[in-house]
Amino acid sequence: MKQLADTLSSVLEKAPCWAEARFHRRQSQSLQVQKGLVKQAKSSITAGIGIRCLVDGAWGFSSTSHLSASSIEQALKRAFECARSLSQVKKSAVKQLPQIALAKGEFVLKGYEELQNMSLEEKMAAVIKAEAQTRGRSSLIQTSTCGYNEQFEDKIIVTTDGAKAISRLCRNEMRLSAIAADHGEMSEGQHTVGRTGAWNCLFTEHSIDQMGEEAVKLAVELLKAPKIPGGLATLILSPAMVGLLSHEAIGHTVEADFVLSGSVAQGKLGQRVASPLVNLCDAGFVEGQPFAGGALLVDDEGVPTQNTMIIKNGILESYLHNRESAAAFGVAPTGNARAWLYQDEPLIRMRNTFVLPGNQTLQEIIESTEDGYLIDCPLGGQADATGEFMFGAQKVMKIEKGKVTKLFRGATISGQAFEVLSSVDAVSKEFLLDLGAGYCGKGQPAKVDAGGPYIRCKAMIGGVQE
Amino acid sequence: MDALKKERRQLEEAGARLISEACKAGADSAEVCGSFGHRNKITLEKQDYHLASSDEGYQLGLRVLKGDRQGFTSTNSLEPKELKEVALRAVEIAGFSPGNPFFSIQANSPQKSQPGLALWDPALAQISLQTQKDWVEWMRKEFLKDNRLRLNEGSLEVGKSLSLLVNSKGTHHVESETSCVWSLMGMASDKDVLTSFDYFSHLSRQALGIGEIIIRTTLQFRESLLKNLKIGEARSYRGPVLFSPRAVLDILLDSLIYHLNGRVLLDGSSRWKLEDKEKSLLSSAISLIDTPWLSDRFSCGLFDREGTPTQECELFSEGKLKNFLLDNYSAKGLHQTSNGHAVGGASSIPTAGSHSLCLRGGNKSLSALLKAGDPSSQGILWVNRYSGQTDPVTGDFSGIAKGGEWWVNGEFRYCVKETLVSGNVFDCLGASLLDLSSETEVIDSSGESPSALIDGISVTTV
Repeated sequence: MKQLADTLSSVLEKAPCWAEARFHRRQSQSLQVQKGLVKQAKSSITAGIGIRCLVDGAWGFSSTSHLSASSIEQALKRAFECARSLSQVKKSAVKQLPQIALAKGEFVLKGYEELQNMSLEEKMAAVIKAEAQTRGRSSLIQTSTCGYNEQFEDKIIVTTDGAKAISRLCRNEMRLSAIAADHGEMSEGQHTVGRTGAWNCLFTEHSIDQMGEEAVKLAVELLKAPKIPGGLATLILSPAMVGLLSHEAIGHTVEADFVLSGSVAQGKLGQRVASPLVNLCDAGFVEGQPFAGGALLVDDEGVPTQNTMIIKNGILESYLHNRESAAAFGVAPTGNARAWLYQDEPLIRMRNTFVLPGNQTLQEIIESTEDGYLIDCPLGGQADATGEFMFGAQKVMKIEKGKVTKLFRGATISGQAFEVLSSVDAVSKEFLLDLGAGYCGKGQPAKVDAGGPYIRCKAMIGGVQE
Repeated sequence: MDALKKERRQLEEAGARLISEACKAGADSAEVCGSFGHRNKITLEKQDYHLASSDEGYQLGLRVLKGDRQGFTSTNSLEPKELKEVALRAVEIAGFSPGNPFFSIQANSPQKSQPGLALWDPALAQISLQTQKDWVEWMRKEFLKDNRLRLNEGSLEVGKSLSLLVNSKGTHHVESETSCVWSLMGMASDKDVLTSFDYFSHLSRQALGIGEIIIRTTLQFRESLLKNLKIGEARSYRGPVLFSPRAVLDILLDSLIYHLNGRVLLDGSSRWKLEDKEKSLLSSAISLIDTPWLSDRFSCGLFDREGTPTQECELFSEGKLKNFLLDNYSAKGLHQTSNGHAVGGASSIPTAGSHSLCLRGGNKSLSALLKAGDPSSQGILWVNRYSGQTDPVTGDFSGIAKGGEWWVNGEFRYCVKETLVSGNVFDCLGASLLDLSSETEVIDSSGESPSALIDGISVTTV
């Protein structure tokens, strides 16, 4: 790695412009077992170098999978030509990138070697056992599936203005799902977990057994659950749901490229956008949560990641930046530039997005809720530039007079982000980053995590009308 | 084709090397799926040009069988040393994997060329960067003709690629294609009104006429965004809703296809069984085919991911179930024959899936449907785009009607925000389906559908 970093440095010395070279090698392995049969056992390697140039305020990019100096030089030449050609038509030049202390040295997150030393055979045995145990938990289970993925990421980032960082980390995730069937009705329950770290990091909150048990319990209970009525309601969102809210509803609208395009967060810095109880962050490394699924020490522009306070006591404090948007806003970059593979350009992406915990217990919040729903087990979610968001939940439980009563079938939760955050009137002490198995899509995928405490708010439920 | 002669040779040599190394290492049979791609791409962001890029690369996926045990590896390297390691690793994985009787690597019969399937255009393969820049400028200018529009991002990519499928049973297929793909994502704003994001993408495989198509598709997109600036309120109700072709494809057909997938059928998760073929399971208005032979769709070709010749597949005819989507795995498990529906890229293990769905239109015009759906002039919702969840197992769906429109007695009134719809896919395609429009639309060069008027949908507003 060090030798390749030196090669990249020496090639960039000849660059006629600002340039960035990023080597990325990803080794991924994936297993899937369904109904006792191994459906998938695979191992993949993708490696190469992406070169980005900035010429007269215009970007050019090229990549190569060949690691020789001559191939890298050719990629640099192509990226330069692309940038020069684009500069002839670009209307508004990219401002000079902020001069900051860029990352130098090695940045290694725990678990890489430990996970690599555990054989795929051993992991497969655990996956086969987990699926069999899940399937055996109820005679109503029609199909169960256990999937496991891991990615080993090795990167080198070198820029002509001083970055020279080598980074190494591994991420993994496990999914257990069960489909129950009874008298023509079918329903699915699932439990997922994703971490940055070794195998055991996956099971710090729930053991494999517990994951399977919860998936089966939910699938079976949902078979008889009624559909939920639609309308505006009081909701207590679980940490995973708060994670989705933080990521989808707020996180995307404060990505500075979206802000510049006119998202609802444009012009709102310093304004109240949420209840004073709401403190929302996006961090590369979260204190006390070293295995967060989106953990990152240095971004793909060579900027050291930081804990960015987006909303403090309900006031919008900061957007999320790469170097280009930071230059446009005249602030420091926040270390949010990320690329999925070597042939992708870095985009502004979230890392670990979360609401900080409050002072009440979950029990206290439930007991003080007269009529509402407890929402858990997130499905996917999407957000709009307008701040309108939606996310799916698999588990919706009615709260009546301070007690959790019955289970409904899953539903979609929707609202306007800042209105929903302004309605927050309770925040729990309990805190969890619980979306580590999630991927964010924005042209390229990105591994992210999100979470927070339990919060109580008002939002729309997309249920049935009588 | 001569333009990719060197790349084809390299790809074929790498494929042969992988199979040879795998067999030497103890594999009983081996299959390589390979690809080469070259692309020039110009992206737009925030009303302006953003980035120009030029890339090319290879991808190779190796699947091996030792008895009924399977291993799979992939790489983007052509280096002989790397290829040998990849082959050894695949055989190693197969060595410790438990057996699965449904895995197979099969010899495949030849495929006839299909009229209308023209994937390679020499003119597009040689298009200059300047011409590409001209096309992007036409798209950018056309979109920004109205200063209420905001271009969040867009791109135009010209590519040429090769696909290789070889196996140790004698299968050897190579296909080449050219493509020009453009897309835009944006919104409109006027005073205090900010519309939702919307997007479109379009594919063309021929250079001739691209400029006109770019301008036409961009103009359509611009007009649909501007329409969203007229905002009003919907009402909560349960009753008829009109689904646009995009909504039909995203909400209804995606879930339907899950239950027609051979692998889902094999594992018992489909709501139907093989014996249900020829039974009337949906509304008689539903006639659905899956076609692999339309050049203007993203997923098309003469062979599937396992080298099986593709075929047009009738899935439903007037509500009767006709076929499932079978790859070799599901076909073997179900004692059937693959109908050419193995899908996936070079770096993924093949699985069953669809190519390009076409739902046949009905007899009434769209405007007649809009009137028919609102006999009491209370207004109905037209779901244009959907942002939400669909549970493929139960068919229950719930989500936001993006760019939803409110129509009263067949006349457009305004667009609506914060409006949720929920229902069940199988009810929608069964007893609740009132009618399909005679007009159909191809969405994002992927699938084709009419609009659908469906009863019993729950509409929830603030």
